[in-house]
Amino acid sequence: MTRDEKETASILHRLRSSAAACPRTLAFMEVCGTHTMSAFRCGLASVLPKNVRLISGPGCPVCVTAQGEIDRMIELARRPEVTLCTYGDMVRVPGRRGSLEAARREGARVQIVYSSLDAVARARAEPARRVVFAAVGFETTAPATAAALLAARRLDLANFTVLASHKRIIPAMRALLQGAPRSGLGLDGFLCPGHVSVIIGQQAYEPLVREFNVACVIGGFEPVQILRALADLVDLARDHRAALINQYPEAVTPEGNQAARKLLDTVFQAGPARWRGLGEIAQSGMIIRESFARFDARRVFQLSEQAEREPASCLCGKVISGLALPPDCKLFGRGCTPISPIGPCMVSSEGTCAAWFKYGPRDAGGAPERHTLQEASA
Amino acid sequence: MCLAIPAKLIELKGDQGVVDLHSTRLPVNTLLIPEAKIGDWLLVHAGFAIQRIDSRAAAQTWAALRDLAEAAEESPPAGAKDRPDAAPRVTGETP
Ligand code: SF4
Repeated sequence: MTRDEKETASILHRLRSSAAACPRTLAFMEVCGTHTMSAFRCGLASVLPKNVRLISGPGCPVCVTAQGEIDRMIELARRPEVTLCTYGDMVRVPGRRGSLEAARREGARVQIVYSSLDAVARARAEPARRVVFAAVGFETTAPATAAALLAARRLDLANFTVLASHKRIIPAMRALLQGAPRSGLGLDGFLCPGHVSVIIGQQAYEPLVREFNVACVIGGFEPVQILRALADLVDLARDHRAALINQYPEAVTPEGNQAARKLLDTVFQAGPARWRGLGEIAQSGMIIRESFARFDARRVFQLSEQAEREPASCLCGKVISGLALPPDCKLFGRGCTPISPIGPCMVSSEGTCAAWFKYGPRDAGGAPERHTLQEASA
Repeated sequence: MCLAIPAKLIELKGDQGVVDLHSTRLPVNTLLIPEAKIGDWLLVHAGFAIQRIDSRAAAQTWAALRDLAEAAEESPPAGAKDRPDAAPRVTGETP
């Protein structure tokens, strides 16, 4: 047995004996889409005790983007003078009428960028075009957008704007907890996102733990790191204790990345934002400050803020709120597959429906087909 | 969700640098890690360094992320063909 296998075995042993001491089923939400993917990929569910359940949360930025936001991106992209730059996964998300990809096929200029600064560079290179950077993502990604806005101001670019749909994760977690009595979401703790926490810091979760008496454990993305975080969550549940534990200290500090937080504060202010499935959540959005108004696509193009309805048959909203599993959706694997996705949870490679489609149990309640996680413990 | 990839900083001029990501050279901006210096291992997300880590943690994270990247690669994600060739597949995802 290698050292890693030994470690995995001992963590698994701890997790199982703690779980055995709990008389009921424990449910933990992995907030982050990368955790969802990683857990599925290594067959985590197959080694967990029967009374430990992992449910997906609102941590895939593509999946939480509201229908109206997608429609606005497409609307902008269809303007003849606009070049719309965005990150890869957004282009296939279906809007009310088609996707960015479909718009591009019909002649719209849609450009996939690796970095926000690529969008700035494009605006400089093509002064005759109006370049719009459609930005989604949580606190990990938002500083890059803030940097692009600063660069645009420094360069005094007249043809660059940002359609910002950035979101803050803590208000969404808070909304889920506040809604829990009505929604029936039973949660014993959060597996908190590693790379968001790099920016916001461990301390950002303290108010949640205090107010809602809920356990929060920050985890890395390796199977063994996820397992370690889960073992901590089960221990806390067994002891009826709510605490905040950082199991990813090699990257996450108590106060996070100060330079990034300062930059965010310079460019954005907290305000309401609409989430798919969760509706409008106060303080969960990052609104471009007045001082950057001339780079704000919403203001410059005077975009409307109507609340569009989401496709009725798609359960994405419930899936990302931990209230439904992909197989609960009638379209899962039938009308909706990664090749022809209907909702964003199937489009994004980190979406819960995509992960289930790829790795999930084929028959409800059955064991996942693949498990490569070292099933070393007795 | 917000995948950041460990890579080693090999060039730096102001806040514009280059990281080596398993023999791929990739531009990186160090605005968010002002103390970054050549030789550092950085977590890179959407072209920006967001954290400094030690080389051991970098190796661990890399292994985990490579698996995830392969997982994502099995069914080519949206816009795969549009990605800049210099960018490794994982970082071309929506961060
Ligand atoms: S299977 Fe498709 S339609 Fe159903 S919830 Fe998932 S993404 Fe939406």
